[in-house]
Amino acid sequence: MIQQTSPRRQKGEQSEAPPSRRRDTSLPYLLIAPTIAVLVGLSIYPLIYAVKISLQTGSGEAARWSLANFARLATDSFFLEALAHTFIYAAGALTFEFLLGLGLAVLLDRPLRGRTLFRSALLIPMMLPPVVVGVVWRLMLNPDFGAINGTLRGAGIATDSLTWTASPSLALASVIAVDIWQWTPFMFLVLLAGLQAIPQEPYEAAVIDGSSAWQTFRHVTLPLLKPAILIALLLRTMDLLRVFDQIFILTEGGPGFSTETVSLYIYRTAFRFSDFGYAAAMSFVLLVLTNIVSVGYIRLLQKQETA
Amino acid sequence: MREGHNRREYAAKIGRGAARSRMARWLKYVLLALAVLTAVTPVYWMVTISLKSEVDQFAAPPRWFKFAPTLAHYYDAFYTRAFGQYLLTSVTVAILSTIFALTLGTLAAYGLSRFRLRANLDRRLSMWILSTRMFPPIVTAVPLFLMMRDLRLLNTISSLVIVYTALNLPFVVWMMRGFFRELPRELEEAAMVDGDSRLGALVRVVLPLVTPGLAATAVFCLIVSWNEFLLALVLTQTDASMTLPVGIAGRVTQYEIKWGVMSAAGVVAMIPILVFAMAVQRYLVRGLSLGAVKG
Repeated sequence: MIQQTSPRRQKGEQSEAPPSRRRDTSLPYLLIAPTIAVLVGLSIYPLIYAVKISLQTGSGEAARWSLANFARLATDSFFLEALAHTFIYAAGALTFEFLLGLGLAVLLDRPLRGRTLFRSALLIPMMLPPVVVGVVWRLMLNPDFGAINGTLRGAGIATDSLTWTASPSLALASVIAVDIWQWTPFMFLVLLAGLQAIPQEPYEAAVIDGSSAWQTFRHVTLPLLKPAILIALLLRTMDLLRVFDQIFILTEGGPGFSTETVSLYIYRTAFRFSDFGYAAAMSFVLLVLTNIVSVGYIRLLQKQETA
Repeated sequence: MREGHNRREYAAKIGRGAARSRMARWLKYVLLALAVLTAVTPVYWMVTISLKSEVDQFAAPPRWFKFAPTLAHYYDAFYTRAFGQYLLTSVTVAILSTIFALTLGTLAAYGLSRFRLRANLDRRLSMWILSTRMFPPIVTAVPLFLMMRDLRLLNTISSLVIVYTALNLPFVVWMMRGFFRELPRELEEAAMVDGDSRLGALVRVVLPLVTPGLAATAVFCLIVSWNEFLLALVLTQTDASMTLPVGIAGRVTQYEIKWGVMSAAGVVAMIPILVFAMAVQRYLVRGLSLGAVKG
């Protein structure tokens, strides 16, 4: 009854109190079962359901098994374009978020007056509801009344061509910039925590060896920061590949198709055109993409847990 | 003489060094101030828009500080329009789903952290539970919509409570598993020697000790449920069932945008989150690396 991990005690229990031991060995399963049930019902069953509808064309009585939805993927130029947008979005945002986040983390690593205040203020964008981020940046980026163009005009700069999210050529860059604004704090926070977990000794050794600040950073800090960097990059990549909320509010994928990502295209296919089968087929592509990243992440966690 | 010269040179060098480090410090502050300004200014701008009359909203050049504040947009949004109702829905859904996820998830976490199961099942199940968290929401949104339609649960608050409970569960399990592992087993064993049952020991001894962790986990769940957008958008389309984010999005994408109403609703959606975030700062890194904040 006392501890399941020790066989010696279990043996002792058996002779003293067999009924209670029996109850206790089923206890963990009873504790875990409701959670498993909920997750099977609301994560696994929906996936199976999605597999089923992706392999069918037509609906109700007229439904037929077919691979047409998956065949369509390869020839659907909208889907391929949405995929390209998603990659550009992810790569662009990830690069800047990482570099800026690392820079900020290094700036705030050492004790500094007002550090807590700086840290808290820098985290604000990340905590905001994505919808609010959308609202905030619509107000900033509106070509006519937005704060950015208003300020530029005040400084005597012509803003006629700077229509940001309303311009086919600037829209994707604009939504990427908003992502960088919102999620650089995340990189900053995870990397700062990583930096602060590095012990003092390697730095002292580097000072004794007479390394320059850059050498120390390159050969001491970065290698020791690697686990934190990997976790931050993996988590961000997973989020970036599925991006939906802010873009939906800022541009709804437009103008034209210029900011349509995979998630938005799936949404449109399912809930505007009611083509659920094809939407499900596309969502498996997204699932595979994010799975590749999440497997890496889970491996990393497992390694840390056993370490 | 020679020595004096050297000393002067040395002093000059030190002076230069100190000047350089003072410069570096200034540069540091300037960069940090710029970063904070970038982070905060857009949010501040939304707050001012929510408080400005229409004349001030569209003034050129933009009025950052000088305007006559008014609460008219808040009145308009939450009294005249349905935002009060959306707010109530958001609060209800967030609280109920948090309670359910926390109850189920804490029990599972206890089971997974305190018992060694057959065939390494405890570890495997933990990993499996975490992996369900990694699905992109749009992947489950499509089948969940169809399931809820079949169950006639579209446009109901219950559908959101159910879905958000599942959304938060993996996170709760992993957070609480971490907190339980930090507690020595001897505590419960002592209580059980004193005649407590396993569950009695959990309630009377273990849970009080993990209260800070439990509270932090609850706050993270509240944030996730409060911020969630895509599933709410898919599952609720009526005034009586939609959450604040869906309500705001509906106004944003309409043809004519009411800047003031939208901003007022945005400010109200933001405030609880900022308060919560400050409350869980200590746990933020742990929470985020398990996928808190974003659904």
